[in-house]
Amino acid sequence: MNAFLDTLAMAFGTLRGNVLRSMLTLLGIVIGACTVVAMMSLTEGLRLKMTSDFAMLGAGAFQVQKWPHMNFGPIDWRKYERRPPLTREQGEALRSLPHVKFVSIEEYPTGDGGAVVLSTPERATRREISIGGVLPDYEPANGVTVGQGRFISTTDVLLGRRVTFVGTDVVDVLFPKMDPIGREVRIRGVPFEIIGVSVKQGSIFGQSKDSWAVVPWTAYEVAFGRNRNNNIAIQATSAEDLPLAMDEVVAALRRLRGLGPQDENDFELFSNDTSAEMFDNLARMVGAATFGVCALALLVGGIGVMNIMLVSVTERTREIGVRMALGARRGRILMQFLLESITLSGLGGLVGVLVGAGLALGARAVFDVPASIPAWAVILSLASACGAGLLFGIYPAARASKLDPVEAMRIE
Amino acid sequence: MAEPLIVVEELHRHYVVGGETVRALDGVSFTIERGEWVAIVGQSGSGKSTLMNLLGCLDTPSAGVYRLNGSDVEGLADDQLADLRNREIGFVFQTFQLLPRASAVQNVELPLVYRGVPRRERRARAEAALRAVGLANRMTHRPNELSGGQRQRVAIARALVGEPSILLADEPTGNLDSATGEEIIRLFSELHQRGHTIILVTHEPRLAARCPRAIRLSDGRVVGDGPGAEVAALSGARAVHA
Repeated sequence: MNAFLDTLAMAFGTLRGNVLRSMLTLLGIVIGACTVVAMMSLTEGLRLKMTSDFAMLGAGAFQVQKWPHMNFGPIDWRKYERRPPLTREQGEALRSLPHVKFVSIEEYPTGDGGAVVLSTPERATRREISIGGVLPDYEPANGVTVGQGRFISTTDVLLGRRVTFVGTDVVDVLFPKMDPIGREVRIRGVPFEIIGVSVKQGSIFGQSKDSWAVVPWTAYEVAFGRNRNNNIAIQATSAEDLPLAMDEVVAALRRLRGLGPQDENDFELFSNDTSAEMFDNLARMVGAATFGVCALALLVGGIGVMNIMLVSVTERTREIGVRMALGARRGRILMQFLLESITLSGLGGLVGVLVGAGLALGARAVFDVPASIPAWAVILSLASACGAGLLFGIYPAARASKLDPVEAMRIE
Repeated sequence: MAEPLIVVEELHRHYVVGGETVRALDGVSFTIERGEWVAIVGQSGSGKSTLMNLLGCLDTPSAGVYRLNGSDVEGLADDQLADLRNREIGFVFQTFQLLPRASAVQNVELPLVYRGVPRRERRARAEAALRAVGLANRMTHRPNELSGGQRQRVAIARALVGEPSILLADEPTGNLDSATGEEIIRLFSELHQRGHTIILVTHEPRLAARCPRAIRLSDGRVVGDGPGAEVAALSGARAVHA
């Protein structure tokens, strides 16, 4: 142990003398460690965020739509475009399924995410607000929590009342420091009365999750025209019944949409679980890519370390000879250079971890990206940096330990 | 009577250079008693460097016997040689061979580091050794902050710190001006009087003449062994077998 500490102290002593050169050579290792920590922090943060977001959708809830919910990689949009619309009738038919509790049929402007500016005579929303025509079931099926007022009722739908339930962004902008309930807001020029406001949901990737407004679908069709395609959000009778409800919905929709036994589904289903699964797939891909970058950087960094250690051995040939003459065993010289190499790349790893963590936290602060630094990523980075130091230090250290003391001391 | 500190019998060291065998040492025999101050003198190519490397356990002989302090050196493995050097030999080199980045006291500590002496004890011993060579106020200086004579004193302190059986000095005044060289020789003389065994390898007859005993080498053989003044007077060219 004493010998180990002495050797470590010697290693630090020589590194201090060559700070700039050491840091330059270590860039590869710094980048490797930095990449791992930054990427893993972002994916981890995203995962935590997603988990909490999906959880808000409610246990036992799932969605049906023509378009895929999330997609990574190339996608053939025409394939989805050609699919027949999900009609209101198909949605209504799902209500009779044994494990379905709520069916929220939602109508949106053409495409998905069509958005409009809401206004009062005095003000207008700066960003566009997504607008949808819905049923009362929208509230439980989408996990909406009423903050003020009430949600859209069956009567509102039956009578086609021009009322709207809005996200907080709408009232924050249009009615600052005012009670918004009962006030009038114009949606595409058509006046609607605000009957309720959701609780604030926050934002993700700088995008607010409170920029929305819903109106009874009957009023929606009168005011904005009809869109035959609908999104359907479904709440199963319980969280345990979710798979049953999904199976029932798939079977019912296939029958209603006249699909043959060989046809693939012409609609998409997703729940918290399928979304989480998709995200996990993405995270795995990011992880694999990060691993690749990191492995490459470590390789480059490792070669850098080997290079600097070989230079160091050459520069210090005399020193090695003297140490041997004074009684250092070959193993001791080997250990000294190995420890130097490991210390060097370990320091590189440490710098990389700090930079990576800094980047992740900086991104969180500046771009509103979720980031959480997982301890395992830090440990992995440091361990692989030290591992690279060990691996690539073996050759230079072995060379140092095999020097002949007499020859070594003669070198100028 | 106890065995001499150093017993060398028919020592050979051959090198093969370009297919030819060079007999750097060709059957050398002598003994050195504890407490002696012996010069090994000879011109370059006489084999004195080879002999020094063998005596210093930096090299092993091709044939012959070398017994140091009762143990046979020939046939020892690298690690055993390293341990033997650490315990028995204190080297003083012509070019000082100090570690440039280490302070005087760190340089002096080095043999004790490799002996596994605990930090505090070896620091105390290194400081004592530096005081003994008159460098009490230069402990934390680095070699480049010291004069040549001071550097050689640091090297001598390093050689002494482990209390070895032999002080093995290779042209210790070779890189010093004559006044400073004289100081170093006086230091050796003092150390000799205090009972240290000193082997001084040099090509200068003048230096050999100051030693109580000198061994002259020529062409890998001993051509003179006796009182320093007498052996130094011998000409290396005219080989006179002892």
